Order: sequence, then C-alpha cells, then structure tokens
Amino acid sequence: MNDLLLMCTIAGRDAAIPALRVQTVLEIDDITPIPGTPDFICGLTPLRSQALTVVDCALALGFDEPCSSPDRRAAVVEVDGHLYALMVDSAQDVSEARSDLVAIPGGLGDGWQRAGLGMVETETGPVVLVDIEKIIAGPPALAA
Amino acid sequence: MDELLADFVAETREMLEQSGTELVAWEADPSDTARIDTIFRFVHTVKGNCGFFDFPLLEKLSHAAEDALAECRAGRREADPALVTAVLAIIDRIGELADMIEAGEDLVEDQNDIALIAALETDAAIEVQSDVSPVEPVSDEQDDAAPTAAKRNTVQRSIRLPVDLLDEVMKGVSDMVLARNDLARRLREAGEQPTIDGPFERLSAILADVRTSITRMRMQRLEHLFTSLPRLVRDLSSELGKQVMVDFEGGEVELDREMIEMIRDPLTHIIRNAIDHGVETPAERLKKGKREIGLLRFAARQSGNQISLLISDDGGGIDTERLGQKAVAAGIYSQSEIERMSDAQKHQLIFEPGLSTADEVSAVSGRGVGMDVVRANLERVGGSITVSSKPGEGTSFHLHLPLTLSIIATLTVSSGGQNYAIPRSYIEEIVFGSANSVEFAQAGARRLITFRGRRVPCLSLADVLGTEDNERCEWETKTLVLVRLASDDVFALAVDRVHDHEDVVVKPIAPAIMQTKLYAGTTLLDDGTPMMLIDLPSIAQMRGLVGEMRSKPALAEEQSRKKSKDGVPLMLFRGLDGRRRAVRLELVKRIDTVSCEAFDIDGERAQAVIDGRILPLAGLEHGTLPEGRCRLLRLSDGDSELVYTVSEVLDAAEMTEELVVSANDASIEGVTLVEGKPVPLVDGHTLFFKHSAPKRIDHPLKCRIPQDSDWARTILEPLVEAAGYRIAHEDDDDADLAIEIAGNAAPHGPAKETIRLRPDPEDAGDGSIYRYDRESLLAELKRVRTGRAA
Repeated sequence: MNDLLLMCTIAGRDAAIPALRVQTVLEIDDITPIPGTPDFICGLTPLRSQALTVVDCALALGFDEPCSSPDRRAAVVEVDGHLYALMVDSAQDVSEARSDLVAIPGGLGDGWQRAGLGMVETETGPVVLVDIEKIIAGPPALAA
Repeated sequence: MDELLADFVAETREMLEQSGTELVAWEADPSDTARIDTIFRFVHTVKGNCGFFDFPLLEKLSHAAEDALAECRAGRREADPALVTAVLAIIDRIGELADMIEAGEDLVEDQNDIALIAALETDAAIEVQSDVSPVEPVSDEQDDAAPTAAKRNTVQRSIRLPVDLLDEVMKGVSDMVLARNDLARRLREAGEQPTIDGPFERLSAILADVRTSITRMRMQRLEHLFTSLPRLVRDLSSELGKQVMVDFEGGEVELDREMIEMIRDPLTHIIRNAIDHGVETPAERLKKGKREIGLLRFAARQSGNQISLLISDDGGGIDTERLGQKAVAAGIYSQSEIERMSDAQKHQLIFEPGLSTADEVSAVSGRGVGMDVVRANLERVGGSITVSSKPGEGTSFHLHLPLTLSIIATLTVSSGGQNYAIPRSYIEEIVFGSANSVEFAQAGARRLITFRGRRVPCLSLADVLGTEDNERCEWETKTLVLVRLASDDVFALAVDRVHDHEDVVVKPIAPAIMQTKLYAGTTLLDDGTPMMLIDLPSIAQMRGLVGEMRSKPALAEEQSRKKSKDGVPLMLFRGLDGRRRAVRLELVKRIDTVSCEAFDIDGERAQAVIDGRILPLAGLEHGTLPEGRCRLLRLSDGDSELVYTVSEVLDAAEMTEELVVSANDASIEGVTLVEGKPVPLVDGHTLFFKHSAPKRIDHPLKCRIPQDSDWARTILEPLVEAAGYRIAHEDDDDADLAIEIAGNAAPHGPAKETIRLRPDPEDAGDGSIYRYDRESLLAELKRVRTGRAA
C-alpha cells in the first residue's frame, strides 16, 4: 500500500489525510462566519468562484482547543459535491505510506479513535490516517 | 413539429453512434444474441418513430430489418454473415435518410432500397453471395449524394451536451468575472492608466458577452413545452366529452431548461382543471350563446428577468359561492369570514389545500389535491401564481417565473456586522423601527409590532442567528423587513440595515450548514466574499410562525379598513425645513438616495443626475441641502419626471379627512389631517408646471440656415434647435422654414416660410429682424412652429 498522504498536524499530533482526495492546500485569508452553525464549522471562504465550508479539524475531532495555525492552512476536499477546507495546525509535504493501515490495540484515544481510519508508518514515523467523512460530520455529540 | 423532427433525427443519430460498436462486434460474431438484441431495439425504435412521422420508406426498411432480426432472436433463423451485411446496409441507409430528413429533402424510394430489403430474405443468399450488389449501389448512391451532402452542411447544426459541462463552463466564466472584478479594483487603486484601461474595458465587454451566451445555452424556447400540450388537451377533452381548441402565443420566449421541466407538471394540472371544471360541454356552451368549442389560451411574455405566462379558458369561471361553501364545510374559514371576503379573495381559495369545487371525483381532477401543490411547486422555484375569474366568461391563471433557477432576486441586509441576502419575492415592505407608525409590543416572550393596524410577530435576525440576545436588542434602531410567506403568514424581521437589491447566483451549501435550517444557500459577491441566503420559510417554521399563528382577524380587519376608508393614498415626508408634508402617492415613482455630487444648482436652476438622466430638482425652497447623502422622491406626471428633495421619507398614509384648500399658497393643494395633525399636500400641478422641462417635440420642423456663415452655425443654430427645429441638410428636399441673413448667400433649397435677419439694429423696413433681437426671433420661430404644427 503505497498511498500518498498529506502530512499534517491536527491538535498537536501528526496526522495524515489521503492525498488523492485533496484537491489543493490553501492558506485561508478571510472566513465569513456563519452564525448558528456548530463550532467546528468556521464559516465560508471563497476559492475562485466557489464557497468552501471551512472545518476546524481539531474541533471536529472533539478537542476543546481550535486549530492554532499562523498561516491557517487547509486541505480542500470534496464530499458529496460540496467543497470543504479542512483547517489543520500545519500542513507539510505529501509522502508515501510505508505500511498498510493498521489498527492500534487499545485504540487511538479520544476523538482520534472515531475519526481515525488507523495508523500508517511513514518516513517520519507513525501517523493517524483520518477519515474525511467523519471529520466533516463533526464531533459525536453533533454527529448523533 | 420541426422541433420534434429535430429530436427524432438527433435521437436516431445518437442510437446509430451507440449501435456502431455493437454492429462491429456482431459482425465478428453473428451468433451473439446480446448484440442482436441491441440492434433489434434500435431498428424497432426507428420503426416506431417513423410510423409517427409518416416516413413510409424508413418504416419499410426498419420493419424489414426488424422482421429478420426477430426471426434470429426467436431462433428460427441463423444469423449468418449475409444477414449481417444486409442489416448493416440497412442501418447505413437509415443514417443517410436521417441526414436527408434533417436537410429537408424528400425521401424517395429507389431500386437500392428494394435491393436492400430483398437482401434480407433467407433465400436471397445467392444474390448476396456475389457480395457486390449490395455494396455497389450504395457507393453509386454516395456519388450521387455528394452535391447534396455539401448542401446539408449549410443546415444549422446542433449538438447535444451534458448539462454538467455547461455548468462547468458557466463556473469558469463566473471565475473570470470575479478575477476581472479583482483586477478592476486594483486598476482603480492604481489610478488612471490609458494604455491598460482601454484593453481592460474591451476584456470586460467580451466577458459580459460570453456570459450572456452561456446563459443562453441553458435556455430553451417555450415552444418545446407547448408542443406537448395540444395532445394532452385533445385526450382530456375527448375523455370528458368536451371540445377544446388550443391557442399559443409567445412560444419563442426562452426559459431555463430546468425551469421548463419544473413547470411542466403545474401546467398540466392547470390544464386539467381548466378542461374539467372550466370549459362547459358543447351543449351548455351553445345554450349560453358561446361557440361550442372551448378555447384554452397560452400566452407567454418576457419582462425583465421574469417570464409571465397566462393560461386562460373561456369557460364558466370559478363558482365563488360554491368555493365559499366548500371552504366553510372544510373548516378552513367561518361563514362570516367568507361573507366578508371580496370575490378576488374568494378566488384565492382555490389555492387552499383540500378544496375542490367538483362534487364528484373524476379520473381527471377533483381530488382536492392540486392547486395548492401547484402553487407550492411554483413558489419553490421562485415563481408565483395568481388567478382571476369572471363568472360565465372564464378563468385566467397568471404565472410569474424567474428566467433561471439559480439566479434569485434578493435584498441584502446586514445584521451583527455581516451581510445576508433575503429572497425579494417574500418581502412586502420595509419600515424603519424608528418610524412613528410602528409600535412595539410584547406578548409573553414574543415581540410584536403594530403596523397599519396589523399586529404581526417580529423576529430579530440577530436573535434567530444567535449572534445577539433579544434582551439587548434595540428595536428602535433596527430596520424592519415585512415578510409575507407563501402561506400568507406575515412577520417582521428586524435587521441592522437594508442595503441593496442584488440578483445573486445561488450555490448549494454543505449539509452541516443546511442542518441549521437557517440558510437556503450561499452566493459570492462581486469581490468574492461569500454571503448567506436566509431561508425565511424554514425560520418561520422553526419559530412557529406558520399556519396556526395565522392572524385571521387581522385579515378581516384589513378588509373592513379598506371598505371604510377609501382614501387617497399619500406619501408623508419631511421637507428640508423639517416640516411634515405629503404628496399624492400616485405621483411618486420611486425613492432615491443620492450623494450631493449628483446636484447641479446654479441660481434659479437646480438639477440632479439620477441614473444617467438630468432631472429638475424641486423642494429646495424649504431649506438647504444636507451634507453628504440626500433622499429624493422621484415624481412623475406620466410624461416628465422631476425629483423632490426631502430630509426624511416618513410613511404612506391615506387621506381620509377633508382637504382644506389654501387660496394664497399655490404650491400646495391644501391641508389635510393625517392622524390628527395637519399636513400640507404638495400640489403636483404647480410643481410640474414650474419644474418640468418642455416636452421634447417628436417631429421637429426643418429649418434651413445659411451654411457659409459662422454666425449662423455657432450662434443661430443652437437657438433654432432649442426652439424645436431641426437644422435641414442641403440634401433635404423641403424645409418648413429658412432663415436668411442679409449680406450672406440665401440658404440653398426651397422652404415654406422665410425669416430674414439683418446685421444692423436699425429697422430696415423690410420686415427683417435684427439678428440679436432674441425675443422677436423666438416669437417668430414660435409663430411658424405653432402655425405649422396646428
């Protein structure tokens, strides 16, 4: 399994997003907040003539602290015809998975267990591969 | 019919293309039954269509092929190479014939066709074995066809495209527009740069053109929808024993393809209703002195970015009595409410769910599901429907539809420092919370406002969105948008500010945002920032403002108000001096807000530039113009317009009290009481008399002036033109007037009258006018003009 992964940091931990699903990585300038939406949805940001829904990955995983990122990087993915910008602490390079997806005995711990597909080995060590759909569904209280 | 034919040709071609690969595969393995099935379906469809269009030759060919293939499918015949060749030849021929149909040529059966059919016969194997006969004639034919093929190319060609691709192109163009706006802003900031500005302007113009063309790609003529209706009408009327004729108008009007599909069902419903309930049986019609054949008319018209579609029948009209009884029986309204309703209001009852005037449920209509669904469907796509009816004369349904599904007319408002869009179709009125006609009240946790004698629930947008607590809301500073939902429920939405009208392209939003039920979509503004479109019906639903909150007494109250006070509508405003005044509402065309730069005031003359037009400015006598922006009432007497400056627009009111005429002030019609206070009513007559520009003369008289005189060209010409003349050209055969100047050559060409001018002030005694004697000259010009015009 030599899948390409977008290496990023979410809530201070190394994580990976399947790179094939990522259309682009952008630095978000302006976010138009949408009142009334759950916290993990930061708002909308324009990308060319499209409006992206900005999702804070840390909040979506159920952590209390939002993503802390100086340049507000986000990975753009498409789910069911809608475009989302997944905001992460930082986004690094694309690298190859060195191992298959493996489950960790005892689980990944809070939040990660639900939205993580499992662990993969990479050049820089083990990372959690996140499930894009789960992130977009938001933390469990809201997803339920 | 041509459209259907084009569809047929396009469909045949499409199937030909699809079956192309099948044919080749079949040729490789003639026993492959799956391939035979596909090809069989193709010829079968062609045969069916041909019968419909009356192409006997095409039908004969496809029928022969179908027969042969059916034999194979039934296992009565082996599919051998000979049969494959024969079938292929026929399919090629069908393709050729389709081309000929498109080119509008007559289909003539020739020897080849007979040979082709003969080749299909089982015992024709010998004939085909030569392998030359079926091929040769075809190639012969192709030679013959060469000149016609060239002709075919001139036929307007069309291709089918997936809508997705069009959307993609549209998206690309939208991107370009945004990029252009961005560039435009930067260029503006950088100051004027003629070398860049020119090409940029051109780019903008091209982009606008491309955008229009792409929008047009999605358009389809309404004809397309109309063609299917006569059949429907025929079937329904024969089923119901009635005779109905259909008449179409405006089939060339274009509408978004998706929109056409959206209105197909509602339209069908209306037609059913019209034929079932509206049009009487032939016997009844004759008794009533009408033609025994009923008429169903469809008229479409485009007005701005809306399409209006009128569907009218000449039947018996809506039975308002019965409708009222039904409404009472169904428990929707009480008897007394029905009695208070006007006929027009009763007509609207047909849109109430669960009502039908048909006593018996027929197969066609009368199940009481119908018009309410029709209305709901139309409103979902941003349209509206109204009905009018005259007993014994017929019923008309008036549909208003937006041109496209995705572009919605909205009003932009702001709340909590952010902008939102509200669909304009729901908005009834906008009032300032500070206006004294608005009273706030509280009932339990519900905020209410009283406006025009109606008590309506009031929501704060900030509270709905959760950005501000109702407790801290300063209602008086808000602007109230009165919203009327499809269900006739009214509520007020308090926003911080109302900005502008804007037509926006609505894009879908992510499910997580949809879940809030607050937004219907999003849109990107010109500068690329997103703006949310507020979902009013859903908000009303969540807040319990729909249905049970309906204020029926309010309806009755409104009704009685209308009856008792049938006053003249007025618009109240505050003049520049701060005094309350009124003007007849009919005169007011619109209210503008402009900045002071739009004014040009020079002594007695005051003008304002509005929408690129120069209009006379009135109302200045009451005070000085405020700094910055200024509110203007644009008044119109039907022909000319002027603007009236005010410091504040107050409200609309009705003049119910007596108008006390003031003898010594011509600028007002008189003084009337509004809410117990005296208000002077501005006299429109005086106003327009004083300020309106003379009407432009449609057919100016022609006047010749000496061509060789500088004085004539530079000084006389403008004066003559201002007096309502057109300067005649030398080539003009006749002229109404010629002006001669002593000492200059007389103007060339004939004229009906002549005015002579002299350069010296002294009277020469020859009836000439001193050339700087402006008054005499104008008087003379006027005399000639009025004499002529009379």
